[in-house]
Amino acid sequence: MSQASTEIVRISGHAGTVPGAGLNREYQVCKLVDTTTCIGCKACEVACLEWNGYTFSETKFDNSYQTMPETAWNYWNLIKFNEHERDDGTMMLLMRKDQCMHCEDPGCLAACPADAAIVQYANGIVDFQEAHCIGCGYCITGCPFNIPKFSPTARKVFKCTLCNDRVSVGLEPACIKACPTGCLHFGTKSEMKELAETRADQLRSQSGFPDAGVYDPVGVSGTHVIYVLHDAKNPELYGGLPRDPHIPLSVRLWKGPLKWLGNLAMLGGLVGLALHYMRIGPKKEEPIPPEDRKPS
Amino acid sequence: MTNGWIDIKNTDMMLIMGGNPAENHPCGFKWAMEAKRNRNAKLISVDPRFTRTSSTADLFLQIRAGTDIAFLGGLIRYAIENNRIAKEYLVNYTNASFIVKEGFKLPEDGLYSGFDSATSKYDLSTWNYEGVGGSGEQGGAAGATGHAPEPVPGKVGGAAPPPHLPPNVAYDLTLEHPRCVFQLMKQQYSRYTPETVERITGIPKDQYLKAVDMFTSVRKDGDMKKVATIIYAVGWTQHTFGTQIIRTAAMIQLLLGNVGRAGGGVNALRGHSNIQGATDMAGLFDSMPGYLKAPIPADTDLATFLKRTTPTSSKPSPWGSWNYYANTPAFFVSLMKAMYGDAATKENQFAFDYLPKVDRDYSWTHIWDDMYNGKVKGMMAFGMNGVMIGPDTNKNINALKKADWLVVGEIYQDETSEFWRAPGITTDEQKTINTTVYRLPCAGFAEKDGSMTNSARWVTWKYAAVPPPGQARLDQDIIADIFLRVRDLYKKDGGKFPDPILNLNWAYADSAHPSLSQVAMELNGKALADLTDPVTKQVIKAGQQLPGFAWLKDDGTTMCGNWIYSGCWTEAGAQIQRRGTEDPSGMGVFPNWSWSWPANRRVLYNRASCNPEGKPWDPTRKQVWWNEAAGKWAGNDVPDFKPDSHPKDHMGPFIMNPEGVGRLFAPIGVLADGPFPEHYEPIESPTKNLLHPQQSNNPLVKKFKTPYDKFGDPEEYSIVCTTYRLTEQYHYWTKNNPMNVQLIPEPFVEIPVELANEKGIRGTDMIHVISARGTYTAKAFVTRRLKPMMIDGKKVYQIGLPIHQGYRGIIEDEGKDARTPANLLTPAVSDPNAHTPESKGFLVKIEKA
Amino acid sequence: MSTTDTTPRARTTSAFDEELIPRYTMVERVNHWFGAITYTYCLITGLAFWTPYLYWMAAIVGGGPTARFWHPWFGIFFTVSQFLMFLHWSGDMEVDNDDRVWADNIQAYIENEDDKLPPVGRFNWGQKLYFWGMVGSTILLLLSGFMLWYVEAVPWSIHILRYVAILVHASVALITIGLFLIHVYMSTILEEGSFGSMIHGSVTRAWAWTFHRKWYYKVTGRARPTE
Repeated sequence: MSQASTEIVRISGHAGTVPGAGLNREYQVCKLVDTTTCIGCKACEVACLEWNGYTFSETKFDNSYQTMPETAWNYWNLIKFNEHERDDGTMMLLMRKDQCMHCEDPGCLAACPADAAIVQYANGIVDFQEAHCIGCGYCITGCPFNIPKFSPTARKVFKCTLCNDRVSVGLEPACIKACPTGCLHFGTKSEMKELAETRADQLRSQSGFPDAGVYDPVGVSGTHVIYVLHDAKNPELYGGLPRDPHIPLSVRLWKGPLKWLGNLAMLGGLVGLALHYMRIGPKKEEPIPPEDRKPS
Repeated sequence: MTNGWIDIKNTDMMLIMGGNPAENHPCGFKWAMEAKRNRNAKLISVDPRFTRTSSTADLFLQIRAGTDIAFLGGLIRYAIENNRIAKEYLVNYTNASFIVKEGFKLPEDGLYSGFDSATSKYDLSTWNYEGVGGSGEQGGAAGATGHAPEPVPGKVGGAAPPPHLPPNVAYDLTLEHPRCVFQLMKQQYSRYTPETVERITGIPKDQYLKAVDMFTSVRKDGDMKKVATIIYAVGWTQHTFGTQIIRTAAMIQLLLGNVGRAGGGVNALRGHSNIQGATDMAGLFDSMPGYLKAPIPADTDLATFLKRTTPTSSKPSPWGSWNYYANTPAFFVSLMKAMYGDAATKENQFAFDYLPKVDRDYSWTHIWDDMYNGKVKGMMAFGMNGVMIGPDTNKNINALKKADWLVVGEIYQDETSEFWRAPGITTDEQKTINTTVYRLPCAGFAEKDGSMTNSARWVTWKYAAVPPPGQARLDQDIIADIFLRVRDLYKKDGGKFPDPILNLNWAYADSAHPSLSQVAMELNGKALADLTDPVTKQVIKAGQQLPGFAWLKDDGTTMCGNWIYSGCWTEAGAQIQRRGTEDPSGMGVFPNWSWSWPANRRVLYNRASCNPEGKPWDPTRKQVWWNEAAGKWAGNDVPDFKPDSHPKDHMGPFIMNPEGVGRLFAPIGVLADGPFPEHYEPIESPTKNLLHPQQSNNPLVKKFKTPYDKFGDPEEYSIVCTTYRLTEQYHYWTKNNPMNVQLIPEPFVEIPVELANEKGIRGTDMIHVISARGTYTAKAFVTRRLKPMMIDGKKVYQIGLPIHQGYRGIIEDEGKDARTPANLLTPAVSDPNAHTPESKGFLVKIEKA
Repeated sequence: MSTTDTTPRARTTSAFDEELIPRYTMVERVNHWFGAITYTYCLITGLAFWTPYLYWMAAIVGGGPTARFWHPWFGIFFTVSQFLMFLHWSGDMEVDNDDRVWADNIQAYIENEDDKLPPVGRFNWGQKLYFWGMVGSTILLLLSGFMLWYVEAVPWSIHILRYVAILVHASVALITIGLFLIHVYMSTILEEGSFGSMIHGSVTRAWAWTFHRKWYYKVTGRARPTE
């Protein structure tokens, strides 16, 4: 990550090209989840809990292997299970590790009103800074993936950090470390993208999944968690992965035109009232004419 | 496993049946995924349920529980019919060409030749090869003895002496002789047509053909480069014909030339981290450490015993056979020296008389039956939760009520130690239970060092992570304490036969706290006198650790606690503590990572990875090969072969068999219930055996006679039920660990949508699952991963339930489930070979709670 | 007096004019200021969440998390005040025909040419507009506010409601800010005597006659001059 700051762009008093310019070292990280080799063992769930210091949550059997219906403020990593029957009658048990997608264009960050409560690092990690979080929950609305969750005890919102603490010292995220089948990979975005595309190619050509593909949605300018799906045309099958996620239009309106219109209107209103007072002045009461003083 | 976990990455084809490695062996399953990713390997999953393994499969077939032999037999038929077999391998490396004795009869009526319905035993005399110039007995008369496991001569009044393999076997390399093994096998499985398979297993013919075509495609057009593996677990073993299912798999792998090859083999996945080690150390009553046979009453002296248990070679005369078990006397005597030290002398037959003689079946179900019948008065249960583990929980609980005492060494208060608190036992009844229970807190796996042997036969040393808490003690300390006190009692008071106790070799530095490294060194063995190798002139001084089992002697000059572990802790140090990560071949051999028995060999029978000329079948996966210049075998793995045996000598690659070749036909009762596997129905089955309705079940299966040994009528109990484990829980431990309980909070029963609709059951409804032996209660998991099946035109439902929950644990103690153990449903009937009970296919009915 | 009379009247008041008549009861006044304070709190905190340029406002009321904690509660308190106001004043807030004529001629009101307008009752059309605007806004703010407060209670299957809520809450808040600004301006510095009426509860007869003539007639019992 630190190379980012030492990449030379311009050099004073230097004739000719800048050595290394345009080298463009990549430091954007990415987690690849290959759902086609996930076995739903939940090792990532436990690793996530243990690394982040969360303990037991009470859960309930809900006619599924899934630990709970959706991620929780203290349960950032959840495998979503879906029994799916293909058109030819063959059964599939789709298992997708759900967690923060670390969008390039993060809806949570766009929606957040609190100074520095959400930061996006140059490596692509979108991280919540709980010290600055005011717990408004706008990020929950802003997220197209239903990831940030509010803690009623802490009154703050929490989500997967992509193990920023581990990544920043050169380790892989805890979930990656725990994955037994190698369905989880971690590396630079371009490496992971390439690996994912290779696997998707293989699924298309060798495994009879003509619609296999990589999920790296453009609606949020790509994500730093990408999926290989057997059926990229129907991401909803994978525990409701949105087909075309983007920052909600209402959030964009609210944080864009509405904000500027509103600010303008408020400022205009104040100015208008001041001008009115200066130009027209106050309304004063008037003496009552005698005819109206008479009792009826 | 013939091969190993990492080796699975070398395969081109996986048949996973009777196992669910994605859930129960997730770490090892990564290699299956590697094979898929890197080699485009195909995975076929055959299971009663669509499991998480099935979710990664290229093809899933839902099979009726307990019909695996029908499936695999049909596969043999398909491979032969379509010439998807490894002809050269078959002729040279298996007994396909061996001619079987006249009089041997295939089980068209469900019985092989020689069945005696009075004793329910087979006379094995026809289950033999034709000797050249005569029968097996004649061969035997010429001085050869066979490798017959446990006939009980003498005891069975007037029975003939056990049959022996002939030294020179009649054979026909054209495989055309009507009585050659290949023709008999072909005939046996010609009945397993896809139509029959469909009627028995419930797998539609088109799907079945797709699967067998896919699996046998590795031998398309006689190509030998590709390799297929068969992977299984207790879904195969836990049947009354479990051993025979595995044998069918072995036969397929021999037929297709997949044994001994990287990415091939027959691979048993062990369900516990050290269960392989437990088996290696004589897990069964009828074996000694290292799979040596235990003495029986007919073994009146050491010589008789060794004569019975030491095989002599039996092969076509031009071929060679190393017959490695010819070394049985060396292995056995060294074991006796390890057990009794100086007290084992040539004069006292190396203390042979100290050993108990096994006079009958003492396997798991018999122990409980004996206890139920008052014959077993006490039990020590260490490292296992007896009440939960075995079949027919109610019977076991009632057996324990009759015992005088019970000692449980555990890390939790488990169901066994609290059998008297099982659901249904009232406080009044508890007062009438007189069993004294001693509960000894033991150290958990992370609190003790020692070695663990995994499925791949790797013996790996582990270190204690934390000390045992509180008063918990190491298992070996508890055992030592008991032993030393018992020995003192014998010393003081004498007894009927104190010698085996008084003379037991207990030469540990701290006798009250034996160190497991010393035990491991004892297993490896050491020289008791100076030894010299006659060829290399290498000298091993008295007292030095042995380099391997090749040094073992039958004259008392070596000691070795387990011959197959010899080499694990040599003068060069603890091989099992090695952590070398080099893998020169790139095939995942990792020769310097820990140590695997035997002789650090990673793939067994690896000579078979080469053609008869000694060249690898697939040059891209070279395991071992004949080095003509050096005049010996070389390899990336340790050759599993006589190192200097020239290929032209045609020594068979299956050196542990007296034949030197793989056995398609298992002669003279190697397996008690037939030389070829035959499809039998589980003891509780929804249908008669369609091959021979008059002989539905394995004829050798014994049923007990207690009131708890009841069996369900398929009219009433019409649903096929199987049990299994979940990836989120480990056996009966992790229900005490909040993290696991969080992942799977409650017990459940997986039932098909169609059955649920019929019964008006919705997901999460409480239901009762009722077998003839008990009622299990849990929530319904209504799923499409189990579908109704058509069995011979009749609709049959299959359900499944995980075994993890019982009546002690986090949710159990909070009263959040019905506290019923799954095994109260299962019957106490077991496989006549391995004595494993039939948990994976029995009958139940269900109703809403 | 006629509406066409443009001659400014002499601003001399008599003792009669200065006599006080009650306009708001104690309860009404207390409730009004309760509403005013709670609204202001919501305004400050809401503006802090609205734009980073005003995030400093959260500091005035104890910092972001505190502001976030109390904002919905003050919103509920404000709703309570609105409900009471509704009970108090809704009867006087019905728009009649005079109001419609008044509204059509609102330009005159803006330009302080009140004489050109029909006489009004206790509340003029502008006040009624403000009243009903605030009542309606409060309902919308409350509904959308709950969805922001308990955003996770809105099931993911209908999470579009979350999106609607956030737009509604912001837009309606902006409307109330507009109304609020006008209300504060008019009642403090524009219309002399108004502010006092909400403090003391009473107005002079002259004030009542000037700004709420129909109400003046009604409460003083004096007849409107016959046409």
